[in-house]
Amino acid sequence: MLIQDNLILTRSDPSGNGGTQFIYRLKNYGLTAVSRPQEEISMIHWEVEIVKFSDEATARFEICHTTELANKTLKFYTDKSLNEFLGKAFQYFEELGSLEKMLPQEP
Amino acid sequence: MANVVGSSVCRTAEDEGKPADWVPGGEKQTVVDPMKMFHELPREMQFITGSEAARESMRRANIDIAIAYPITPQSESMQQAGYLYDEGFIKEYYRAEEEIGTFSAISGASRAGVRSLTATSGPGLMRGMEAISSWPGARTPIIMLNMCRVINTPLAIQPDNIEMSFMLNTGILMLHAENQQDFYDYPLAAIMASEQVDVTLPAVVSVDGFFCTHARGPVKVTPAEYKLPPRDGWRSAVPAMDNENPPARISRDAPIQKSNFISYHMHASWQQEVFAAVERSAKYFRDYLGGLVEVINPGADDFIIASGCAVSQAREAVRQEGEQGRTVGLVKVKTIRPFPVEEILDAVKDAKRILIPEFNQAGWLHKEVCSVLYGRCDAVIKDGPRVFGGMTMPTEMILEWLAEFRKEVK
Repeated sequence: MLIQDNLILTRSDPSGNGGTQFIYRLKNYGLTAVSRPQEEISMIHWEVEIVKFSDEATARFEICHTTELANKTLKFYTDKSLNEFLGKAFQYFEELGSLEKMLPQEP
Repeated sequence: MANVVGSSVCRTAEDEGKPADWVPGGEKQTVVDPMKMFHELPREMQFITGSEAARESMRRANIDIAIAYPITPQSESMQQAGYLYDEGFIKEYYRAEEEIGTFSAISGASRAGVRSLTATSGPGLMRGMEAISSWPGARTPIIMLNMCRVINTPLAIQPDNIEMSFMLNTGILMLHAENQQDFYDYPLAAIMASEQVDVTLPAVVSVDGFFCTHARGPVKVTPAEYKLPPRDGWRSAVPAMDNENPPARISRDAPIQKSNFISYHMHASWQQEVFAAVERSAKYFRDYLGGLVEVINPGADDFIIASGCAVSQAREAVRQEGEQGRTVGLVKVKTIRPFPVEEILDAVKDAKRILIPEFNQAGWLHKEVCSVLYGRCDAVIKDGPRVFGGMTMPTEMILEWLAEFRKEVK
C-alpha cells in the first residue's frame, strides 16, 4: 500500500482507461501515480508524473518534466520502490518551496 | 481412508498431498453474524486487483462448492478460487466442460442445499443463459460473479456490460459493482440476501471487466479469520433435495417439472412468486449495503444516474464540476434487481436534467430509469454518453455532455 502522507485525492483514472490515480501534493508541486489494468497481475505497475499545480483551490495541474527529480514519465513495479521515491520527492518539494521563496518576488 | 478432521466432505489430506495433520483453512475460521461482518469488524486497507478482491470475498464466504469454466476476464478470479480450494477455504471445486454444463451442475449443487458459486464473462454467460434462466424458478440461491465483457461482433475482451440486459427479466438478483471494493463487499451481501427464506433466489454480482478485475484499487477487508454462517439448505422456500434417500425429488411440487402437463396457473403463480421474492430482497440489501443507492448532492438541478464503472467516471465529473462552483448530483445504483424505484424517485424529485452514462450500446439503465420516472418526475432524461465495445469514457466526455445538456434544457 502506498504511503498516505500528502495524498490529496484518490480517483479513477480520468482518462477512462481504468485504474486508480493517486494525487500527492506538497505546496505547489506534487506527483500523480496511476496503476492501470494489465493482462497479467505481474505486469501491473505505477506510472508516475511530477506535476505543478495551477492554483491553490483546485487539484488542476500541469505535468512538469523540468525538475531535478525526473524529466520523463517514471515507472515503478512495486509499492515499496514507489514509496521510497515518494519520500525523496517530498523532501525535494520542501526544499524547492524554500528555494522559490528566496527568488526575488515580482511586484 | 479417513476424512480430513472435522471436514464435512470426502476430501482427504492424503488425496490433496497435504500432511496428515492438515486442517482446511475454512475450518480454522470463526462464523460471524453477517451484520457484524459488514458493519462492525475492523478493516484493513489492501491495494489489490478486482480478481484478488473477489478471492478475499470468497475466502470469507464459507463456500461449499465452486464450479466454473474459464473465460477472459473471469479466468483470473477462478484461478484465485483454485488457490482457495488448495488452502481449504472452498470445500469442492472443479472446472466444468463448458458453460451450459457449468451452470447446470451448479444448479444441481445448489438444489442439494450447499452454498454454490460460479463465475463467467460475456459470451460464457450468453452460452449458459438457458440454464441460468431456470435458476430463479428452481429457487436455487446460487452466487455468480460476472466480469462483463463484449459479447457482440466484432468480438473483443474489453469492458462492455450489455450482457446484463439479458438477465434483467429472469428473476435473478442483480448487483453492479463500481470498483474493487464493491467486488469484495457485494458478493458477501448477495449470498446472505439470496439465502433468506423469503428470497431463496440466485444472485449475480457484475463488474466491468479489466477496468476492475485487472487493475488494482484500494479495498478495505475484514479479518480473514471470520467467515459468513453456512447455508442451511432446509431453511429455504423450496427445501433441498434429500440425496441420501433416493430417488431425490427435484422440487416439492413434482408437476412443476412436467413441462408437457403443467398448469398455466401453476407456472404463472410460481413466476409471480419469484418476482415478489426479488422485491422482498430489497430490505436485506438495504441493511447489508447501507441502501440500494448512494446519493451525492441531493437536491441538485443536474443529476447523473449510473452503475458500475460509469459511477467512478461520474464521481470525478461531479468533483470537477464542484471545483468550478457547479453542483451536480449523482445516484449510484447498487442493485439493478431489485431496482431501487422509490430511492431514485426521491433523489431526483427536484432535478431538471438527468444524464445516464453507460458502458453498453443498449442503454438498459436508461430504459430502466425512464420506466420508473415516467409521469412521476419533471426532469428531462438524456441517454448518454454511451460507450461500448471496449471504448473508454473519459471524465471530459461526461463534462462535455453536461455542458451541452445545460444549453439544450434551460
